[in-house]
Amino acid sequence: MTPIAERIPETFDFGGTWEEKSGSWWLVPEAAGPRDVARAMLAHGARFITITATELADGGGVRMDYHWDLDCTVLTFTFTIRDKTAESVYTAESIYDLSEAANWIEREIHEYFAVEFTGRECEPLFLRAGQTPGVNLREEDE
Amino acid sequence: MKYNVPMGPYHPALEEPYRLDLVCERETVKDAHLRIGFNFRGIERLAESRNYIQVIALMERVCGICSNIHTLSICQAAERLTGIEPPPRANYIRVVMAELERLHSHVLWAGIAGKVMGFKTMFMTCFALREKIMDILEAISGNRVNYAMNRVGGVNRDIEDPAAILRMVEEIEREMTRVVIPVFTTNRSALSRCEGVGVLTHERAVACGVVGPTARASGAGQDLRRDAPYAAYAEMDFNVPVESGGDVKARLVVRALEIVESCRILRQALAKLPSGPIHPEDEDVEFPSGSAVSRVEAPRGEVLYCISWEEDNENPTRVHVRTPTYANMPAIRWMVTGARLADTPLIQASIDPCYSCTDR
Repeated sequence: MTPIAERIPETFDFGGTWEEKSGSWWLVPEAAGPRDVARAMLAHGARFITITATELADGGGVRMDYHWDLDCTVLTFTFTIRDKTAESVYTAESIYDLSEAANWIEREIHEYFAVEFTGRECEPLFLRAGQTPGVNLREEDE
Repeated sequence: MKYNVPMGPYHPALEEPYRLDLVCERETVKDAHLRIGFNFRGIERLAESRNYIQVIALMERVCGICSNIHTLSICQAAERLTGIEPPPRANYIRVVMAELERLHSHVLWAGIAGKVMGFKTMFMTCFALREKIMDILEAISGNRVNYAMNRVGGVNRDIEDPAAILRMVEEIEREMTRVVIPVFTTNRSALSRCEGVGVLTHERAVACGVVGPTARASGAGQDLRRDAPYAAYAEMDFNVPVESGGDVKARLVVRALEIVESCRILRQALAKLPSGPIHPEDEDVEFPSGSAVSRVEAPRGEVLYCISWEEDNENPTRVHVRTPTYANMPAIRWMVTGARLADTPLIQASIDPCYSCTDR
């Protein structure tokens, strides 16, 4: 049987078009959220690697690249979050209850980019106690 | 009665600052909470204000032990983005540097493990050996800590006399196999401190997503050098040691066997070093818009770099690094739970933690 890493687009249909770049696969899922993706990845025995958060220019939100390892191939799922709660805090779905490995990076993104992950606690701050989130890697607030 | 024992951020058992809050009942650890961030330097943010040459120099300073791995990872990511292929000789030199760095890191770790066990003679022996490995690194790169070897498209310095380097490696290998490895794998005093201590089960290791020797000591056998080869690893013949015990002894044995495998890779890479250039003649590097990821098997496990660039920009828009200790450290909570309080320094040392990497 062909290894799963060689039939990524057929196996994972989350909407959107898969793109292969130098041995890793990238997708902007149009019909799935981070939790749907996490469930599918874990069901196939994938390992969560990390999330790369990038603040978009002109208050355009935060881009979140979720990196997973499936049979030694990196799969990256890109989501852009624009929803805000009060005081410029963005909100995103947490996957911590599905993958324990996402715990620290979600907390780090919460502190560095002021992203609130729904369904989990990110307090008290574990990197820099006593300061408001979003002060480390995010541009000064508008 | 339960009581809390704070360990760190500054503590004789810790080489670098982090905090472990231990909840104990008598002498047994019932739970633990970790805190990091004492070394935060904002390197990822700084990278957004540096050009690609400066970014390489900056990322080399993420870690003082596996500095070469960081430049290798970011150069590979940049090469994937720009489509630049390093020449074969450069790929072999990258393997030599990466394996020397692995040797250096594992020997340094063995020394610290010896010290934490109360085996000071082993600490001195390992650090003397480490000096010799640093001599080799200096002979190749001119530097003993930050080697400045990698560049986008290849390496900065050639190995002029591979035979001389090979002789130095063989001398190190002899001392390793004669002294260090037998002590750590057969000495009863050393083993009595490690056997059955700080167990991380396979299931928990998978759930935590741990990497490198920590994962391989819990039966999770991934090694990017074999499973997703980069540089010239596809042309090397080597084994990936895997143990199933999940305890400190298993982590120790995995690293000891990896030292032997590293020497084996070094012998092959130096003997087969192809001729030719070490970087492309055309020095221009132009970044298109886009993102790329690169992974490398560092001494402590998988390192991932994700970089993003906008065309015509001098600086990257984002550089994110996920270091192995960042993935391994949360598992310390499960390793120390149920252990004796006195064993916690050795257990936390057994993942070979690097807080400099973790905090970036």
